[in-house]
Amino acid sequence: MARKQSTGADRARAGQVALSVPSTFAQYKTLLAKDLQQEFRTKEMLTSMGIYALLVLIVYGAALGQTAQATDVLQLSGGLLWALIVFTSLLGLNRSFNHEKEQGCMEGILLVPMDRSVIFLAKATSNLLFLLVVEVIAVPLFWFFFLTTAQPGPGFMLMAVPLAVGTVGMAGIGTLLSTITVNTRGKDVMLAVLFVPLIFPLLYACASPTTAVVVGAEGYLDVFTQSMALAGGYDVIMLLVSWVLYDFVISA
Amino acid sequence: MEETAAIRTRKLSKVFGTRKAVDKVSIEVPQGAFLSIFGPNGAGKTTLLRMLSTLTRPTDGSASLMGIDLREDPEAARGRIGLISHNAMLYPDLTAEQNLLLYAKLYGLADPQARVMELLEAVELKHRRLDVVRTFSRGMTQRLSIARALIHDPDVVFLDEPYSGLDPHAVDIFDQLIEKQREGRTFVMVSHDLRKGFDMCTHALVLARGRVVTFGAKDQLDFDEFSELYRSTVGMGVS
Repeated sequence: MARKQSTGADRARAGQVALSVPSTFAQYKTLLAKDLQQEFRTKEMLTSMGIYALLVLIVYGAALGQTAQATDVLQLSGGLLWALIVFTSLLGLNRSFNHEKEQGCMEGILLVPMDRSVIFLAKATSNLLFLLVVEVIAVPLFWFFFLTTAQPGPGFMLMAVPLAVGTVGMAGIGTLLSTITVNTRGKDVMLAVLFVPLIFPLLYACASPTTAVVVGAEGYLDVFTQSMALAGGYDVIMLLVSWVLYDFVISA
Repeated sequence: MEETAAIRTRKLSKVFGTRKAVDKVSIEVPQGAFLSIFGPNGAGKTTLLRMLSTLTRPTDGSASLMGIDLREDPEAARGRIGLISHNAMLYPDLTAEQNLLLYAKLYGLADPQARVMELLEAVELKHRRLDVVRTFSRGMTQRLSIARALIHDPDVVFLDEPYSGLDPHAVDIFDQLIEKQREGRTFVMVSHDLRKGFDMCTHALVLARGRVVTFGAKDQLDFDEFSELYRSTVGMGVS
């Protein structure tokens, strides 16, 4: 993307600092590195999301302890897993702009001559990475607690695909929405109110193939393929919309 | 050839809902000037500053910075702007060095590390460069904020109530640092401190209810005359 930045020749003062026009990718990497540095220092998002996921698993344990049949757990597994992911994501997304708000950091970033969609991409990527880290811990725990006694289908490893596709969409949409809600009163509730309805089609498109591959009933690959096409299409559309709207949203 | 004005506005306005925060402000600030903006709370000082620094879009009118139209090409203008406010715009959980390197890389400095070290030395924080900003005092944070704002060597520096929360000693250090950076740069400061703002400025702007009450070079005015003018026109006590 072409960007303009004044360089030495057209500036009035002598003794200036040498500036070049940084590439969009260089700015993206710098912003992403900043988010990662902060999170690895504070572990604020990862700790809160990790503990929350663990607590939800304990609650699931109490609830599913009452089921008599292991197959019941298999039938419910996709929905339960996605409920865990959605609520854990909400917690993380609510915190993703806390650092930007503190000391007015976002204004400092907005003063930099760069395409604002770079800010979106960097923040969405960091949110995606943090969500994936939590999933890498939570999904095996979910498996260990609830699915080891049941007999999952032969293609159960395919559940990584809806998990990845769904998480990409949630990180993208969630980043846009958390930018909108960060300065609102009751931002926690506001984000949930906007986020859940907007990701419902994605949630539906990801929960059913997750269940299908875990249960492994006849024709599960058809369900899987159709749902993933829907989820993938939804991701592309929503990420493009978020990208396009981000300049307007962050400037408002 | 006539020198391009550092800042030029024509009937610049900002409306929030039905309230006119800034109402048809027209000013011209020459390069190298120090403009102090005065006015009571709600006069539109910060809104004007935010429009000039491209953080808020004007509702009407035009503004240019170093000849760049802020509406047509805000991105080009941003490379020429530095902003120091009561918010440090520094990430509290990153070190002083990491914060400055972040901005240096985003602005595309050819040698970010060298520039960061130069500025850390200038604001006397080189010895604390590896400490996270959260551990800094308010005065130290504000000094680091000066380094952040100057990292790309901007032509115009905006100061939005930069003294809030600083003790007298920190104010002195802050003033010395600003004084060192004045050569060739244009400064625009919003301040409630009439005395300090007047002493520092070459030009003064008084706003009330979003409108210009007085604007001009302070050459012919001493502080007593100015404070009397301020009191009579704005109708507020002098801080």
